[in-house]
Amino acid sequence: MPPRFSGKKVPSYNFVKAVEGNIAALIVGVKYFVKPIRFTLMYPNEYIKLDSRYRGFIVLNKAKCIGCESCARICPAAAMKMIKIEEQPKQEAQEQSKKPVKKVKKHPVINYQRCIFCGFCVDVCPVEALRHIPVHDVVYLNMAEMDLDLIEFQKEPVNPAAAEGGIPVRYVFDPDRGLVKVRVEVQESAGGERGSG
Amino acid sequence: MTGVIEAVLKIIFWPPIYQYVIVPGLIASLVVVITILWFERKAAARVQMRIGPYNVSPKLKGYLQLIADLVRYAFQEIVVPRTADAAAFLLAPLLLLVFTLLPLVAIPVSPLEWTWPISMKYSVLVALALSVLSPIFLILMGWASNNRFATIGGIREAFLITAYELVAVLSILSVSAALRTFDFVEIVEAQQGFKWLILYNPLAFLAGLIAILMSTSGFPFEIPEAEHEIVAGPFTEYTGIVYGLNMGAAYMKRYALSVLLVLAFLGGWAPYTPPANAGYVAGYLIPSIIVVVKATILMAVMSFLRAVYGRYRIDQALDVGWRLIFTLALLGLGLGLLQGYLGVI
Repeated sequence: MPPRFSGKKVPSYNFVKAVEGNIAALIVGVKYFVKPIRFTLMYPNEYIKLDSRYRGFIVLNKAKCIGCESCARICPAAAMKMIKIEEQPKQEAQEQSKKPVKKVKKHPVINYQRCIFCGFCVDVCPVEALRHIPVHDVVYLNMAEMDLDLIEFQKEPVNPAAAEGGIPVRYVFDPDRGLVKVRVEVQESAGGERGSG
Repeated sequence: MTGVIEAVLKIIFWPPIYQYVIVPGLIASLVVVITILWFERKAAARVQMRIGPYNVSPKLKGYLQLIADLVRYAFQEIVVPRTADAAAFLLAPLLLLVFTLLPLVAIPVSPLEWTWPISMKYSVLVALALSVLSPIFLILMGWASNNRFATIGGIREAFLITAYELVAVLSILSVSAALRTFDFVEIVEAQQGFKWLILYNPLAFLAGLIAILMSTSGFPFEIPEAEHEIVAGPFTEYTGIVYGLNMGAAYMKRYALSVLLVLAFLGGWAPYTPPANAGYVAGYLIPSIIVVVKATILMAVMSFLRAVYGRYRIDQALDVGWRLIFTLALLGLGLGLLQGYLGVI
């Protein structure tokens, strides 16, 4: 027996229903044409104000860092690596010993070519030396710039749209109009005070 | 000096040159096509919650974006594929453009006899005959490109021709039936005083509108150059200004057919009657601009449909064309014949 065709059934043709549907579609189109609800983000002039707990770029607080390597070990993308830095030893230590004291401390640096922004390093840090900042649209001119050194890693990257005077906005859900864009006020002092969430 | 100006005016307003090159021909159609393309993008953006072209000229709401596109096309390299038939490949777009605008020479844009490019006695028939010449060049493009997408696009166009040509011709002929004449001037003059034929025969008008949408691959019949299925249909292999010509030619055809529809159903230059001894401006320029403005509004309505409709499959389009639109056109023709028999208009 040949296989029987079992496809989708073509819906039966109903002239009145078809005309109705077309007119309804046109009315909806005209409604939106007369009273548009737009939510395009005009990017350099507006930018999305991210939540303070957003997993954006990662910043190191070198004073807190104890060089435990946990962040480099847990990094799934091998973006973190530790570098050794020679530091000025304390005065008493220098005096007590006869030989010149060498104090080497380890610090993490990050390579944003590899980073997947999973936030494991921030979570695992025992002294909260690493933290996220709510910025994610940073532009680098070349690949080499994305491999940060220790000094760059301690700086907070700046959102270029915010630096150029863009308006911070946020999308909220409105039951009548759907997704709408509202302007939010930006707090000036928020930058330094944010914790790791 | 005045003699020189008069001579220049005489050349400019010589009916064949004026109607083919200036208004409602090439120059007017370029302006209209750019405006309509801008309107189409803006209207679709409004309905789809976007903004559309904006950043090129914020004060003009992005109108110059289309000029920028045109400049980009103009300076792009024109590549002729090695496997293509070069002569047909390059000639087809040019001939498409030429034949697209040809119906505009066979129509009147003013009731005064010195403004007619040809004798107007059978102008409906001549204009319709000239308007059905251009699709062959789309098929030629598809064949000359020697590319699978282009071939499929050409074949789709060939299928669609069977669905829309007859409807377009029948819908305009119903006007001829109603008024018992093939003369566009008589048809327009009969509509003076807001006796527009769209009010007498809306069925034929609707059928004509849908046939124009089909013939110029407007939504929901954008089948020959369906972007998501066959790249750009017959235009796949084209680059640079030739591609720009192709894309413009579809809109120019829509414009030319809209002018025919305006004359037949929307009263042409109807609210305005030029005086019998009118000069170039009052007798020729003003009525022709009225016709162009009406055609632009009609095209804007057609362009708006892009925001609402999706694309039909080829079989659905043929089904709609033969079962629905063809019936509509026949009903319109019947209505026109009845009106002609009873002498309503």
